[in-house]
Amino acid sequence: MAMYKYDTIDQTLVDERVAQFRDQVARRLDGTLPEEEFRPLRLQNGLYHQRHAYMLRVAIPYGLLSSNQLRTLATIADKYDRGYGHFTTRQNIQYNWVELEETPNILADLAKVQMHAIQTSGNCIRNITSDAFAGVASDEYVDPRPVCELLRQWSTLHPEFAHLPRKFKFAINGAKEDRTVLLCHDVGIEMKKNAQGELVANIYAGGGMGRTPILGQLIKQELPWQLLPSYLTALLRVYNRFGRRDNLYKARIKILVKALGPEEFARQVEGEWAYIAKGDDNFTQAEWDRVAKHFTKPAYKNLPAIDNEALKSQFESELDANERIAFARWLERNVRSHQVPGYASVILSLKPHGTAAPGDATTAQMNAIADLADQYSFGELRVTHEQNLVLADVEQTQLLQFWRAAKKQNLVIPNIGLLTDLIACPGGDFCSLANAKSLPIAKAIQERFDDLDYLYDLGDISLNISGCINSCGHHHVGNIGVLGVDKDGEEWYQITLGGDQGFDAAIGKVIGPSFYADEIPDVITNIINTYVAQRTADESFVQTYRRLGVAPFKEAAYLNVKKKSKTDETALGGDAS
Amino acid sequence: MSTTNPNLIHSHKEILHFPKGGQPTLAPNEWHTWGGVQDEGGLPDLEHGAHKVLVPFHWWRSHCSGHHQNADIIERANKGEIGVWFATDDDILKHAEIIEAGKKIWPVVAAHFPIFRDGRSFSTAALLRQRFNWQNEVRAIGDVLIDQLLQGARVGFDAFELRPDQDLTVGLQQFNLFSVSTQNSWRGKRTLLEA
Repeated sequence: MAMYKYDTIDQTLVDERVAQFRDQVARRLDGTLPEEEFRPLRLQNGLYHQRHAYMLRVAIPYGLLSSNQLRTLATIADKYDRGYGHFTTRQNIQYNWVELEETPNILADLAKVQMHAIQTSGNCIRNITSDAFAGVASDEYVDPRPVCELLRQWSTLHPEFAHLPRKFKFAINGAKEDRTVLLCHDVGIEMKKNAQGELVANIYAGGGMGRTPILGQLIKQELPWQLLPSYLTALLRVYNRFGRRDNLYKARIKILVKALGPEEFARQVEGEWAYIAKGDDNFTQAEWDRVAKHFTKPAYKNLPAIDNEALKSQFESELDANERIAFARWLERNVRSHQVPGYASVILSLKPHGTAAPGDATTAQMNAIADLADQYSFGELRVTHEQNLVLADVEQTQLLQFWRAAKKQNLVIPNIGLLTDLIACPGGDFCSLANAKSLPIAKAIQERFDDLDYLYDLGDISLNISGCINSCGHHHVGNIGVLGVDKDGEEWYQITLGGDQGFDAAIGKVIGPSFYADEIPDVITNIINTYVAQRTADESFVQTYRRLGVAPFKEAAYLNVKKKSKTDETALGGDAS
Repeated sequence: MSTTNPNLIHSHKEILHFPKGGQPTLAPNEWHTWGGVQDEGGLPDLEHGAHKVLVPFHWWRSHCSGHHQNADIIERANKGEIGVWFATDDDILKHAEIIEAGKKIWPVVAAHFPIFRDGRSFSTAALLRQRFNWQNEVRAIGDVLIDQLLQGARVGFDAFELRPDQDLTVGLQQFNLFSVSTQNSWRGKRTLLEA
């Protein structure tokens, strides 16, 4: 299996962290540690206090999981929660119904399979995210995983940066296409080879979503990979010292970079770095070798490459009429090309139409996916930014067999990248920060657009829903963004259009006044109809939007909006769980 | 009545020392930390027997550096009775000369935590050790809680004035919670596997 395995140092550290947290929980329970002071401690171990219960966010570093780890996640869902987990946009899994008293035991169970919840929340360096197709993507320049793992270790329990002004998120990419939303991270690290063939990093700083969405700015080019710890220390030190602490909403690094200007921020980082660049914080080749040896290629067979058309005709005789279209669509939407001939990467959709929250997987599904990973993909899987799961190394000739097996678990809906593959945060049903619910909106949209023929015809559209301006649903970078807002204690939804991720990342524009929840499906329908009426032959939604601008979409969105009185709004809360 | 003096930043009467390479111990705190308020022309008369005083760094700058020379304070400083403490908004890199000169004068410097979750003083301590090669004591003062001790000890603090309600016994146990680390710190390099 091509994934990192803990050495005795990693294991000791995680075990000792569990013991430390067990003691902190005990002091909280006996009352010697007040809630106000326990809060940052539990957050730094991924434990939130939600609307109904505690929520535990477990790290899946750079999105990589073994089948065995997934089985443990499934067991935890059963043993301590309500039989499901929620995969997030930042490669974590969340349990919504845990008891404070039991969290040390959950963490101990996780530690047994080399997992933890360290720094999945709090004002510290968060779980480091990367490309779900790292190491297998056909457009990859370099495999980012060794650097991800080195930086995971470097950032774990980093003492100087344990109480930053605000949370701090790294994303690392090594491919031509960006699947990490790199430019929306506090620090985006783009790994590539320089002209001499050496591994170097371009550093983007100051990206973020939230109340003030800003795309990261390139502040350092071609930094040798070895120097990442000293450079990042300098960068974080400047932020730790000068980031704003007087206003929660202005405390992210993006505000500091914006206030100083990227050039001045970069200059200050260089000034600090000059003193430490040559220090022994930097990575050594021996450390690289220790980590990188785990990310070798699995035992691929020597197979011929087959294109999708050839695959379809190869499977033709084995498919009945009903299956034929569904399988062909699945091949097109849910299967990705691979570096190695004869292999493909498969995306399992966690976006059934209205029957489960986006990103949710049940214990049974998780166990079944673990079995699929063992049988078809070297016992390994990945979590995507879009809240789906990837089996990265499936033999092309086994795709039909795989499809039939995954179908039994309702995991083969061919909607990857389509309108119903939407991103949504848990929203007001669970989250105590949320202004409004996200999941009923997601469900209503998925139910409205349940026709796969139509979805398929619409093509690539991203629709992202956040229940509040913290933007966990990444609505700013959705082609269509839906943001829950609170107006006089009522839940309203604001629509943005034109957001995009990748290296063409763009922040969506607010189209106008917000809508009631039950208007949203009509609003989305009207926006989509405008696209269908206006598109040219191969134009995607966002391309049409860019060509026409917001005006026709905006006009359509407000077409049927009823001017309702507040008394018409009683149905709004009906979906609360 | 030192616990009610508004001029002081309060802490336990005992200080927790954790020298680099040594063991954590408790000792009577010989130093008082003057908050810098009620300044009527000089260091106020604090407590009987309060010989050793940490003054605010900004106050030192305006009374004891450059052409400001408070003779009384300088005299006491020469006896090793004066140190300074850095507030979170003191940019110590802007005053490198004063701090370099302070190496010969201040037996103790401190960095302040206005609230436990404000981590600026972690960088202050790191800079004092890394950039200034500060060898004397660097003390954490203010809202210092037992769950910050380990982080503080690793960035460069070697003495801790814990907030009065903190349990010193639990505090003493915090330093050996981890036997390994995955990044360098003032205390030592990251743990490496035996070859």
